[in-house]
Amino acid sequence: MGRTILTFVLLMGISLPAALAEGNRDFMRETGKIYVVVATLLVIFLGIVGYLVRLERKLTRLEHQTKDDA
Amino acid sequence: MWWKITSVVLLVYTIIAGFLVPLKSGIERVEPQAAQTGEQTTIRFFGYNTFFARPSDEPLRVWLYYNDQYALYAKTVRPLNDTILEATFSLPVNLPDGKPFVLLNALVDHPTAGASLLPAALTLRQADTLSAPLDPAWTQTPVEQLHVQKGFSFPYQNILYETIRNTYFHVPMWFVLLFLFAASVWYSVKYLRRPEPDLDRYAAAYAEVGILFGLLGLVSGMVWANYTWGRPWSNDIKQLMTAVALLVYMAYFILRGSFSDPEKSARLAAVYNIFAFASLIPLLYILPRMFDSLHPGATGNPAFGTQDLDNTMRAVFYPAIIGWTLLGFWIADLRTRYQRLHDRAMGVD
Amino acid sequence: MNWRSLLPLLHKEMVLEWRQRYALSGIVLYVVSMVFVVYVASVKPTPPMWNTLFWLIVLFASINAVVKSFVRESGARQLYYYQLADPAALVLAKVLYNALLLLVLSGLASVAFALVADSPVQRWPLFLGTLALGSASFSIAFTFISAIAAKADHGATLVAILSFPVVLPMLLTLLRLSAASFAPEGMPLDTWADVRNLLAVDAILIALVFVLFPYIWRD
Repeated sequence: MGRTILTFVLLMGISLPAALAEGNRDFMRETGKIYVVVATLLVIFLGIVGYLVRLERKLTRLEHQTKDDA
Repeated sequence: MWWKITSVVLLVYTIIAGFLVPLKSGIERVEPQAAQTGEQTTIRFFGYNTFFARPSDEPLRVWLYYNDQYALYAKTVRPLNDTILEATFSLPVNLPDGKPFVLLNALVDHPTAGASLLPAALTLRQADTLSAPLDPAWTQTPVEQLHVQKGFSFPYQNILYETIRNTYFHVPMWFVLLFLFAASVWYSVKYLRRPEPDLDRYAAAYAEVGILFGLLGLVSGMVWANYTWGRPWSNDIKQLMTAVALLVYMAYFILRGSFSDPEKSARLAAVYNIFAFASLIPLLYILPRMFDSLHPGATGNPAFGTQDLDNTMRAVFYPAIIGWTLLGFWIADLRTRYQRLHDRAMGVD
Repeated sequence: MNWRSLLPLLHKEMVLEWRQRYALSGIVLYVVSMVFVVYVASVKPTPPMWNTLFWLIVLFASINAVVKSFVRESGARQLYYYQLADPAALVLAKVLYNALLLLVLSGLASVAFALVADSPVQRWPLFLGTLALGSASFSIAFTFISAIAAKADHGATLVAILSFPVVLPMLLTLLRLSAASFAPEGMPLDTWADVRNLLAVDAILIALVFVLFPYIWRD
């Protein structure tokens, strides 16, 4: 689920203009490109969360290992 | 502990202020964009975040502004709605300095929203050469007593519009990268003087999180660039420099992995870290001056200079940098603690 | 630092190289074959292309030359040297030797390249000065990084990976300098900023090399 959202946001952020050149420009101009700011922040947030998730998984694995050994 | 809380507080402030503070009123474009001398024209001004139609005690004043000496004042001003304004001008018969054409800036002065300027909005051509003295219309109503907006708002920039808020999210990534890599080098130096494995763990963790923020900076920049520069990657010098810095630290990790003896790998990696970081410093300072860049603050970019990083943006920008940096240090701290536990569990300590 | 041991060490490097000429001849062959490839491709390079191709040839040949010079000595003899010699003198000798080697190399490359593709060089003193500066800069970077990584698995590739970011600013500056040497005589140039920058970088790096080298050769 999280991966789908991530892919969707990334795709939206990067490929949408290629597909909808003129129409997209008007949409973005109408809203003053505020959604670009949203996308930027989302990219950064999801990147950090992704890294933390990776760390979390490593920790859990380590905890299981030490529990088995003990 | 306190610094982790500070980081969260600062970031929450950054996000809220970054999103909620409105932009200054600005002029997006005018139509038509060209005219000839001697005509009577009606020009439409399209505003962004403007309040043309709101009632105010003083009238709106509109100029086509050439410089401090010469400006053309609108005969009539008629707001159609909050964002569209119609102004009629009696264009003079000749141009200052005998030029064949001039670029005029659009200037709208609103009593509460302040003055908004759109540079090079209209091209005015000389219809046929007239060697008469300069039409007095140029100097009749000079630009003066412009209003200043009361209240807190962010600058308006054409093309950027709301994305100027990205200054608080994308730009700090670069600062965090520098701080984290600097911390990594610091620990590498300490490690060489006193080979404690824990110091090496810190060096590696800071390098790893530095790479994370570098990647985040690059990708967030690409998203932003896609909508403002037109393409996600334009071989801009800052993009390339960030990529090279990332390559250095990825090479650092490859080096670490190439030696089976952990002490040797830590020592050689520390040496490389110091050497490579030292060679990055000139990269960071010399190269941007060698090449033009789309990034603000470089040559060839007139609009976004120190004037825009003035008080309104600085009030959010500096806390943002501190907040993001502390967050980076927090993540690196977690990474180190993980590594410590891992090493102890594997009996490597 | 023990200055007196510098010259003997330098001499030793050169003698060693001369005795086992296969490394030197390998590099020469490398340069000649790359130049030949350009010739056979029958592309008449424009001056910017000539510039780029030339420096690419020099870059790759340089990495190879320097890495080979570290692989050459056997472990036992290295231990002997390191016990005898002052590390500062040792590393400086290696850097100087490599700088000279690279100078000869790049000179050879420029001659060979000029034979197959018209050389756009107009100001030879500037060009040769650039070669000298480039040889010195590359030598510092490659020698040091070879010292770090040449002993690891896949040492040569690793040295290339590690060196690339370090060498990139130097390379860009050198490209600009040699491009400036294509300008005809009499035109004013503002190359001194570039030269100064390169010298500053070299100074910083060589200082670091002195400080850091003892940490490398401890084994």
